[in-house]
Amino acid sequence: MLRFLAGRLISMVLTIWAISFVAFAIIQLPPGDYLTAYMATVSAAGERVNPAELEAMRRQYGLGDPFLVQYWKWITGIFTNGDFGRSFEWKRPVTELIWGRLGNSILLEGLAVLVMWLVALPIGVYAAVRKYSLGDYLATVFGFLGLAVPNFLFALVLMYLSYVWFGNTLGGLFSREFETAHWSLPRLWDFLTHAWAPVIVLATAGTAQLIRIMRANLLDELKKPYVTTARSKGLPEWKVIVKYPVRVALNPLVSTIGWLLPTLVSSSVIVSVVMNLPTAGPLLLRSLTSQDMYLAGAIIMLLGVLTVVGTLVSDLILAWLDPRIRYGGGQ
Amino acid sequence: MLKRILHRYAPAPAGRSRNAAAILLAGIALSPLPALAQQQAPMLDEGVASGELPPVAERLPKNPLVVQPLESVGKYGGVWRMGLRGGDDNGMIAKTVAYEGLVRWDHSWEKVIPNLAVSWEISDDATEYTFKLREGLKWSDGHPLTSEDIAFAVEMFNNPEYPANSNWIDVQSNPASVEVIDEITFKFVFEKPNGTLMDTLASINGTQVLTIPKHYCGQFYPGTNPDAAKMATDAGFQNWSFLMEDKCAWGWETSRWTNPELPTISPWIVKEPLSGDAARIIWERNPYYWKVDTEGNQLPYIDRLNMRVSQSLEELTLLALNGEIDFQDRHIATNANQAVFFDGQDKGDYRLGKVVQSTSSSLVLQLNLNHDDPVKRALFQNKDFRIGLSHAIDRQEIIDVVFIGQGEPFQVAPRPESPFYDEKMAKQYTEFDPELAAKHLDAAGLTEKDGGGTRLMSDGRPVRITVDVIAALRPEWVDMLELMQLQLAGAGIDIEINNIDRALFYDKRPNNDYDAQVWAGDGGLDVMQEPRYYFPSSPESVWAYKWQAWYTGAEPSIAEEPADWAKKQMELYNELNAEGDAERRSELMREILAIARENFPVIGVSLMPDGYYIAKNNLRNVAPSMINAWLFPEPGGYDPVQWYFE
Repeated sequence: MLRFLAGRLISMVLTIWAISFVAFAIIQLPPGDYLTAYMATVSAAGERVNPAELEAMRRQYGLGDPFLVQYWKWITGIFTNGDFGRSFEWKRPVTELIWGRLGNSILLEGLAVLVMWLVALPIGVYAAVRKYSLGDYLATVFGFLGLAVPNFLFALVLMYLSYVWFGNTLGGLFSREFETAHWSLPRLWDFLTHAWAPVIVLATAGTAQLIRIMRANLLDELKKPYVTTARSKGLPEWKVIVKYPVRVALNPLVSTIGWLLPTLVSSSVIVSVVMNLPTAGPLLLRSLTSQDMYLAGAIIMLLGVLTVVGTLVSDLILAWLDPRIRYGGGQ
Repeated sequence: MLKRILHRYAPAPAGRSRNAAAILLAGIALSPLPALAQQQAPMLDEGVASGELPPVAERLPKNPLVVQPLESVGKYGGVWRMGLRGGDDNGMIAKTVAYEGLVRWDHSWEKVIPNLAVSWEISDDATEYTFKLREGLKWSDGHPLTSEDIAFAVEMFNNPEYPANSNWIDVQSNPASVEVIDEITFKFVFEKPNGTLMDTLASINGTQVLTIPKHYCGQFYPGTNPDAAKMATDAGFQNWSFLMEDKCAWGWETSRWTNPELPTISPWIVKEPLSGDAARIIWERNPYYWKVDTEGNQLPYIDRLNMRVSQSLEELTLLALNGEIDFQDRHIATNANQAVFFDGQDKGDYRLGKVVQSTSSSLVLQLNLNHDDPVKRALFQNKDFRIGLSHAIDRQEIIDVVFIGQGEPFQVAPRPESPFYDEKMAKQYTEFDPELAAKHLDAAGLTEKDGGGTRLMSDGRPVRITVDVIAALRPEWVDMLELMQLQLAGAGIDIEINNIDRALFYDKRPNNDYDAQVWAGDGGLDVMQEPRYYFPSSPESVWAYKWQAWYTGAEPSIAEEPADWAKKQMELYNELNAEGDAERRSELMREILAIARENFPVIGVSLMPDGYYIAKNNLRNVAPSMINAWLFPEPGGYDPVQWYFE
């Protein structure tokens, strides 16, 4: 087990390094750089940018350097003192900008995952056990509705209904007095009173998928001889299902936990923009359009790190859930 | 109807006795200084009582600017709620709280009136401008504002190590410098004449010289503080200019509003600043603000501003409908929302007011007259071709479909409200006439057609024009282009709509990598200040990017000698710039416009319909009709300092 862990950790570091390189390369792909984007805004505002000054800024920001030099400066900064560079647009250190938003993202999306699982798994089990029953069809219809309605549209409808029925606008994640406060119990409560709407929106999208996967996996398992054996030995029905087939059926779900977070962050960008949520999504979007490369690079890289860490976690859970995995990975 | 008379305060009236510089004591038109005891907002009482703030009389200058309230003298208090689009909406902040320069425009955008400066004097050759500031002006931290501050700001703009940009201070061909005469008197000096400087100073661009206070920002500059370099490296910056940029910025740079310590002269100062993750920005009254009402009450009336920072226009729209926005038009007052806002007036307890746009045409189709492809270049430069295109566009259909019938067919020309309005220029070639269109297109040499009915160019290729557009900026542009695409297809012209990002849009210009681009018709009211469509005057003149490069000298590598008519216009504009007399300047502008009318370089669609604003019913002293332009900021130009809540 320890060797398994050590091997994974080494490969993780290499993966993260590769991610950082790719992330940095990707954001350099579009034409121009931050200064061309900046010049576009300034120029549209009726100002003229003096080309000599633009050149000076380009030198000062190091934008004229070759790609590898820029990358080297950035990555050594990160590994030697956790400095992710400065955001051009905000003229602030990147680290100052992202932690709070990333925290909000993780909290919000963690909640959405939790809700998704709590809703989808029982429904999936039920749909498999009572195949082709009325309940199965209802669950399927419900799930597919959630999948079919675009997240942003659902968010808009919720906001509109909330305005029409309750006379308030859903938006943001905190009340005015808690926006800049530190985390505390009252702030958490305030967060929850605001977060329910985005959590519902985010959770519905994945629910249908989970229901279908759970249902299909479980149906496969239920046909297997060990289930028949267990039944014939007189095990109570709930125990027959929950103790073995469900556990096995969870396997593919658990092994993809690592992908959940990045998927949620990317799928929640539009919802976050529509509902004005202070999460990492809108910041990433904005930094990409203004070609604020250190900020965008940092967010993309951190999402990559989250994926890698998430995969490790899912492997560990899987090893616990399904002991067969350990032999394959460890030896 | 608005009437604009420019440069009323320029020297030498009627062009005579131009050797005698005119000293203009402005402010005489305003009411005399009130004799009543000066009062302040209740929220400041405590500060004065505890000794934290000096009494109001000591905070105000000796001759504060007296603002005539629009309806009535107001009362103190309240929070003005509004919404910013995302964190980078610094333009809106500038237009709302930061329109404070040496001089300003009056409400009708007709004449330059005093602001921080009480009087000014212009030399005959328009190279020296002497200003006198109000006596006893103070920054928001109580420190005196003097001529030194102006000199310092100009020095910083001119410093090549500091990346501050301006279109009138650090201009390569004619940079501004400042001569300090005494504490409140100073002089802008130019090598070459700068005849339009007063217009610039009264516009939002004029506020730039008041954004870098010497007593505060000087500490970050090695020229005034020998320890500045060390200070910067200690704070973790590469060099002094990064630290200074972080603390002071310039103009209306976003980062300027992230530092609550930076002293300003604005009516409200930032308390909860803008940052990457701020959900709102809170502003509080500036206790040293230097304007009073006619009864001597220190302005502003409104205590605080609460700007919601939202990426979501939907959220802002709902907030407004729900009565949670006190005044706003930017972002939410769109064409599409108009009916919804009209219907929601009772429920949201707000009213709608009129906003006149300064732009002339709703869309300007700019063909690239400097195209690298010689066939396309010849075609685009052919006036018959452009006239043919223009006649092939059914403008009424576009107006009916996209603008719900608002507006009228209009070329890119001064608006009817402008003194430069020229009906012929505005209306020429606007009638939809397929036959006439075909005649002109034939005359342009496009007589052959391919099997699909598309006309063929001289080398046998079909006429296919890729039109770059940024849908994110104005969604209706794409709607309009789609209609135009169908209409032009009928005339045998194939246009392809290329919806791209703003950065790419600009990136294509220096590379000359575009057939055509669209934008709005700037210069409808600010004819002289924004002549980008009348002649190749700036990098925004995309229709002749290489010609403007030749004129502005900005990018010599791509510059190309313009056509004779454009060169003539450039000469006229240079003459205009050097001209001290307002009448003569108008005359020269008319000549430039006449050449533009004759050569018809760009194609317009329809007169930009009036916009609207939303104001809560209890918000008073708001002008019922406002002009909106970047150079004449709205609502800043309409004195929000005298707005109040009933």
